[in-house]
Amino acid sequence: MVSVPESPVVLPRLPTDWKPREPSGKSISAPKTGKLLPAGSAYLAHARRTIFNRTHHEDNILEEENRKKNEELNGGVIEDDLGVGDEEEGPELAMLDPKEWKKQDHYTVLGLSALRYKATQDQIKIAHRKKVLKHHPDKKAGQAGDSNDDAFFKCIQKAHEVLSNPERRRQFDSVDPYFQILEDDLPTASSLSKASPQEFFDAFREVFERESRFSIRQPVPLLGEIDDSKETVEAFYDFWYNFDSWRSFEYHDKEVNEGSDSRDDKRYTEKKNKSERARLKKEDNVRVRSIVDLALSVDPRIKRIKQEEKAAREAKKKNKVNGAVGGAAALKAKQEEEKKKAEEEAKKKEEEDKAAKADAKKAKAAAANAAKKARRAQRAQEEGTA
Amino acid sequence: MAQPNGTATGTTTPGEAPSTVVGINFGNSFASIAVLTKENQAECIANEDGERQIACAVSFFGEEVYIGNQAKPQLVKNAANTIVGFRNLLGKKFSDIPVDQSTTSAPVIKHPESDLPAYEVTVLVPAPAPIAAPKSSANTPAASIAPTPRSEPTQQKRILTVPEVTTMFLQTLLQSAEDFLGKKVDGAVIAVPTWFEDSARDALVEAAHAAGIKVLQLLDEAGAASVFITEPRATGATTLESDRTSLILDVGASSVTLSLLAIREGLAYSLGSSHDTSVGGNAIDDRLIHWFAKEFTKKTKTPLSVLPPPTVADARAEAKLRIAVEHTKRTLSASPGAASCSVESLKDGIDFTGTINRLRFDVEMKPLYHKIGHAIKAVLAQCQVDPVFVDEVVFVGSTAALPGLRDSVALEFPETTEVSGNGDDPSQIIARGAALQARLIASISAAEDASTSLHVAFEKGSDLINVTATQKPLGILFPGPDEENKGPWLTIIAADTPIPALRKVTFDVDPSHLEGSEKILAFEVWEAKDDVDVELIKFEKVDDADDDEEEEEDEPAESRTKKTMPETYLASVSFPLKSPTKTQVSVEFLVEKSGEIKVTAAEVTAPTELHYLTIPST
Repeated sequence: MVSVPESPVVLPRLPTDWKPREPSGKSISAPKTGKLLPAGSAYLAHARRTIFNRTHHEDNILEEENRKKNEELNGGVIEDDLGVGDEEEGPELAMLDPKEWKKQDHYTVLGLSALRYKATQDQIKIAHRKKVLKHHPDKKAGQAGDSNDDAFFKCIQKAHEVLSNPERRRQFDSVDPYFQILEDDLPTASSLSKASPQEFFDAFREVFERESRFSIRQPVPLLGEIDDSKETVEAFYDFWYNFDSWRSFEYHDKEVNEGSDSRDDKRYTEKKNKSERARLKKEDNVRVRSIVDLALSVDPRIKRIKQEEKAAREAKKKNKVNGAVGGAAALKAKQEEEKKKAEEEAKKKEEEDKAAKADAKKAKAAAANAAKKARRAQRAQEEGTA
Repeated sequence: MAQPNGTATGTTTPGEAPSTVVGINFGNSFASIAVLTKENQAECIANEDGERQIACAVSFFGEEVYIGNQAKPQLVKNAANTIVGFRNLLGKKFSDIPVDQSTTSAPVIKHPESDLPAYEVTVLVPAPAPIAAPKSSANTPAASIAPTPRSEPTQQKRILTVPEVTTMFLQTLLQSAEDFLGKKVDGAVIAVPTWFEDSARDALVEAAHAAGIKVLQLLDEAGAASVFITEPRATGATTLESDRTSLILDVGASSVTLSLLAIREGLAYSLGSSHDTSVGGNAIDDRLIHWFAKEFTKKTKTPLSVLPPPTVADARAEAKLRIAVEHTKRTLSASPGAASCSVESLKDGIDFTGTINRLRFDVEMKPLYHKIGHAIKAVLAQCQVDPVFVDEVVFVGSTAALPGLRDSVALEFPETTEVSGNGDDPSQIIARGAALQARLIASISAAEDASTSLHVAFEKGSDLINVTATQKPLGILFPGPDEENKGPWLTIIAADTPIPALRKVTFDVDPSHLEGSEKILAFEVWEAKDDVDVELIKFEKVDDADDDEEEEEDEPAESRTKKTMPETYLASVSFPLKSPTKTQVSVEFLVEKSGEIKVTAAEVTAPTELHYLTIPST
């Protein structure tokens, strides 16, 4: 390897009378002989150059290639963090108080804010390990500042405690503060009344995707596209009106006063919590329902389907008015006529195909010229018949 | 319930497991083992006794065999059966060994069958199992069902050759390493002194082989130290340049070895070395023992004379002190305060506790430090290198950790020389360097192409270590405004650089500084001479009436700085610059084996526009 040192030399002005001098014809003093210590990677490089008769440049290039190859070979072995990555730690994380752990965003603490409820247990484990390696109090010892400041480490431990337990994680996921902010930001009826279909889908796609994570039944039918059939749209709304959510609100429970042995106190708090949970659950159900209501009320697909149905009905009505008595018969006759026409057309086409095939056979047998002619004739014939 | 968890397929396909290699520093008094950690760093490991410095001692006591630090206390009561200092006898003939003075351990004897040094120890051999009572075929009852008790173990003389002892010792080292790693060790680099003869090296390889160690290379201690200071490390990496001159000061227990190396981008070119057996850790021990013995006599009025001890009691006391001062030395190396030395029942049942402070210790050791200073001067004189050209002093060996030694060595060099070390424990440098070298050699075997031929480079007596090197520094001189047109000088290839050599430097150029409309960059290639600028600094007299007498005693001090003087003009290069604004120019020197120099210069922004110059060899 050749390191390239940067030299701090400051160049002077070139003297005006300076002319490139002729080479002196001298060369360097005769090299002396000596011994190297057979040690170190530089010696190995020296050996490589000598044995394989390479120049410095060739050797550097080959070694670089080798190194890359080895890295590729070993790359997968060393690290696979399952896409956890390294999230930046904002200044607000350092301010966290472990006593207020209920208020912290456990996913952000572990650096999983991009994954959230989608994070697997393995990813949580890896993220936790990464954070611990970075923030363990043992690592901080001897560093500048207060070495006893292990507040953030405690937050990490709390976050891991919550997220590694499926039940507690479910409770936290139910009230994930990141989504709660988004939940308040719903499209309103007034803003959507005159929205284009595209705007409707843009506004609601995310909302339904977000809500779908609470469903016990999986997979969840999602919003879909503008040209969905009536059945699909109906199934969608049917599902969402009967939405079965696992969302619960134990996370917001008030703790029983610590140190209080009073059974009455406990019972009272428990009762309060229970009713609060029920209230929140009910509110949540209402919330989901109102979203679905809103979506239904402004869904352009419903309008389209209604219009189509109306058109069909009107057409029916028209027929009724036109045909008065024999309306139905007339319709039937019309249909039959159409059918006949179609059949005839099919027959005709078949015959034409047959003729064309026969012509082609003939053409093949004929000479090149004749073939051309035949093809021309065929084309002419086809044009004629078409 | 629990969410659609992503698909976590953490399937890793483990590649070929890297081979497990270790580095062993096998000294005459202490040995250490270094392994490679997960982070690919070399670390010294502790053996099962928690010792990183494992005493090279083997002791036989009854049916037991003690190896390592446990064997050292045996020197007090069981000295005749305790073997120390066996490494230096490897590969020697008994007749070559100078007839030893008084020994404190098992005496070296001539092997009864050959002219080899050996040790005779007394061991207890368990008696053979008693023969089972013959079962009678006839219907007569056996004499007794109870087994005959085993008879007492019998005392036997056992003759052990030096390689046998070495094998026993290396086996325990290997065992410690394997216990630590939890894996079989595939190979080891063993560090040996530079002065080890071929016969000693062969004997060591054989002994290691018998112990089950595959020796990748027997590396000189200076080589191991150079690997340690040149290989990139995660922490404590040196800030020194890649081309530098290093003095390796290896203070062992029995000798001091000095090696002056020209480190040129990792290549260690040996400038010279010396070996002095009159100083070392043992000499320091002797002085400490002497001092504490004197203090004991003074305190207790019990006569204790050591070195040489006239009576058995004195000899025992000396052995006890020798073990105790080991601790005193370590305390002194580790902390700035005083260190104590306590021995229970030193002589005539009297306990002894004495302390020695840093200052007193340094005063006591002054003659030894002076000897080391002389050795440094001698080796520098032998290599004709002025102390100012030594860029760093690397301390190696446990004794080199003594702060007083560092201070006294620092006096030999100007302030520009790095003498402090990088906080690396001197006692671990060799083992860690050997481990890094082992990793390097193991990596060759991993490479698929022509691996066999590269191994030749690390074999004994490889021709690849014979190289030619430049005599004088080479560099470029920018024409300057003074009358000789000599501007700033830039050394590109230092003196003593093994050739072929390739070096590249880049520097900033501001064309607005350059003359003419064409903005020409010009420089000349010169061969230079390393020189020393000696300047006498006279202390200014301060006319204070009170201090006058003291001031006059000041001698003018010498200030020595290194400088490089251009000596021989070779050729010049000039080319117009492309860039109108500030730019960078890189200049590359390639010195061929023949002595031919190829100079390539280019602007960094226009790397395809190269300007060549070739200076042929004579």
